[in-house]
Amino acid sequence: MPAGRPGPAAQSARRPPPPLPLLLLCVLGAPRAGSGADTAVISPQDPTLLIGSSLQATCSVHGDPPGATAEGLYWTLNGRRLPRELSRVLNASTLALALANLNGSRQQSGDNLVCHARDGSILAGSCLYVGLPPEKPFNISCWSKNMKDLTCRWTPGAQGETFLHTNYSLKYKLRWYGQDNTCEEYHTVGPHSCHIPKDLALFTPYEIWVEATNRLGSARSDVLTLDILDVVTTDPPPDVHVSRVGGLEDQLSVRWVSPPALKDFLFQAKYQIRYRVEDSVDWKVVDDVSNQTSCRLAGLKPGTVYFVQVRCNPFGIYGSKKAGIWSEWSHPTAASTPRSERPGPGGGACEPRGGEPSSGPVRRELKQFLGWLKKHAYCSNLSFRLYDQWRAWMQKSHKTRNQDERILPTGRRGAARGNGAQVLPDKL
Amino acid sequence: MSRREGSLEDPQTDSSISSLPHLEAKIHQTHSLARLLTKYAEQLLQEYVQHQGDPFGLPGFSPPRLPVAGLSAPAPGHAGLPAPERLRLDAAALAALPPLLDVVRRRQAELNPRAPRLLRRLEDAARQARALGAAVEAVLAALGAETRGPRPEPAAAAAAAAAAAGVFLAKVLGLRVCGLYRDWVSRTEADLGQLVPGCPA
Repeated sequence: MPAGRPGPAAQSARRPPPPLPLLLLCVLGAPRAGSGADTAVISPQDPTLLIGSSLQATCSVHGDPPGATAEGLYWTLNGRRLPRELSRVLNASTLALALANLNGSRQQSGDNLVCHARDGSILAGSCLYVGLPPEKPFNISCWSKNMKDLTCRWTPGAQGETFLHTNYSLKYKLRWYGQDNTCEEYHTVGPHSCHIPKDLALFTPYEIWVEATNRLGSARSDVLTLDILDVVTTDPPPDVHVSRVGGLEDQLSVRWVSPPALKDFLFQAKYQIRYRVEDSVDWKVVDDVSNQTSCRLAGLKPGTVYFVQVRCNPFGIYGSKKAGIWSEWSHPTAASTPRSERPGPGGGACEPRGGEPSSGPVRRELKQFLGWLKKHAYCSNLSFRLYDQWRAWMQKSHKTRNQDERILPTGRRGAARGNGAQVLPDKL
Repeated sequence: MSRREGSLEDPQTDSSISSLPHLEAKIHQTHSLARLLTKYAEQLLQEYVQHQGDPFGLPGFSPPRLPVAGLSAPAPGHAGLPAPERLRLDAAALAALPPLLDVVRRRQAELNPRAPRLLRRLEDAARQARALGAAVEAVLAALGAETRGPRPEPAAAAAAAAAAAGVFLAKVLGLRVCGLYRDWVSRTEADLGQLVPGCPA
């Protein structure tokens, strides 16, 4: 891409200052007759300069009474008096100033260079604009909400610090035909962003770029080419509900609804769940939740409040081959696991459909269950429902054993305690 | 003693008796508005000088008090005038301010485009000056006094010339207009305060 083109600095420096008395007449009303006020003019008026450059300026005094001379005049820049050695008297009515190695402007409205009379009164002023041309904007990223609009964000070159007001303009056009269009709604998601609300075509590529312009020049970003369908995002899934799974102290069930705006198109949507303990900032993410609207978190701590969020990625929409863009997370929903006297397992994961064991603690328990089944096998096709029933029974029998320790010294339960064998349920 | 039955009562007497509380309420209300706007005008001035850079806003900064077309500062003898005349001058000044504030806002939009609060305050000031001016005219009408004379001309020429003026001059002009706005709302507050019963003169 071409470097910043030279701006109007040279032209600005050479442009003659507007005649001050005429301005006073037009803008401010006729000067009072017989006021005898001296007037002066600074040249150049409002120049634009590169950082590090030099400036030669003059303050020329007009008017009466005779005797108004350059002697005694002095300069200030942004309210600070400039050293005398930077000035010199050119002639009876003109004081010159030489500034070198200028710093960037302190404010965007320009640095205030002022010519003062001996008594300190202000005779004239000029605003200096000292800065840098813009650098090439980069890192353009765009997304479309539900295929209806397009929002783009970019990074300004050189962190955007040009010391001058720099205007950024997002442009776009259809790749194969059409004219350049300019985005109009800026700063929608941060200082360097723009939103195109409507009239966007699908199934055809757009070219998008950013132009940066200030008094010293302009720069253009690389062109980003995209199809709206490849950058679709959507709303977070609504109606997220988290609930206990019966009496299971280490599980929670999460259910949600497909985002309504795209629900008819989300054939291949992916979902992600994240959850954390109430007083923790560390989220755990469950990645493998493809195209379902429910999931069970397992291996959780008993008696603990969990916050849960869900988000959606509408990838593959209308046959797009590219990954979509994750939605925002849904509002946090909280639920607590039932309390237990047993120490609970540490981590957790979403239990997928199909009954496959997932992580460590669950696997251990399942192994115990299967071992128990081999001994007492009288049904071959088992479901997790049956497994859950067994676990609930295990939990209940453990509690009962603890409660009856002093009450039932004999009997089936007491005998079980005595030899360490697991107690069978009455019925399965 | 006239009876109140039917419509034989002198309507003027009747309306003056029944409108006096209304007038007092109106004066109270307008005085409160002026007091609030005086505070906003001070905030506008502070915001304005902040964005122009030093020496604007420095103690002792004394720019030329440039004349502004169609508007001058309250005269030294203003406080000695009769109340209706003072309010008439207040209303005239408040009517002249909005177009000037608009000119300042447009210029500041070029000079300080990233100062949305300043631009919003300038826009609000124009609207508030209009509202206060209308309220003062309503008080004048309720007092039976003539309101102000012909409306000032729109500041189109001033706007065009201000756009062409040097930046420093535009900054000084804007400061002058903001200062006049503060002076006139403050003056209006004081003038209305003298009409409010119990309010110190």
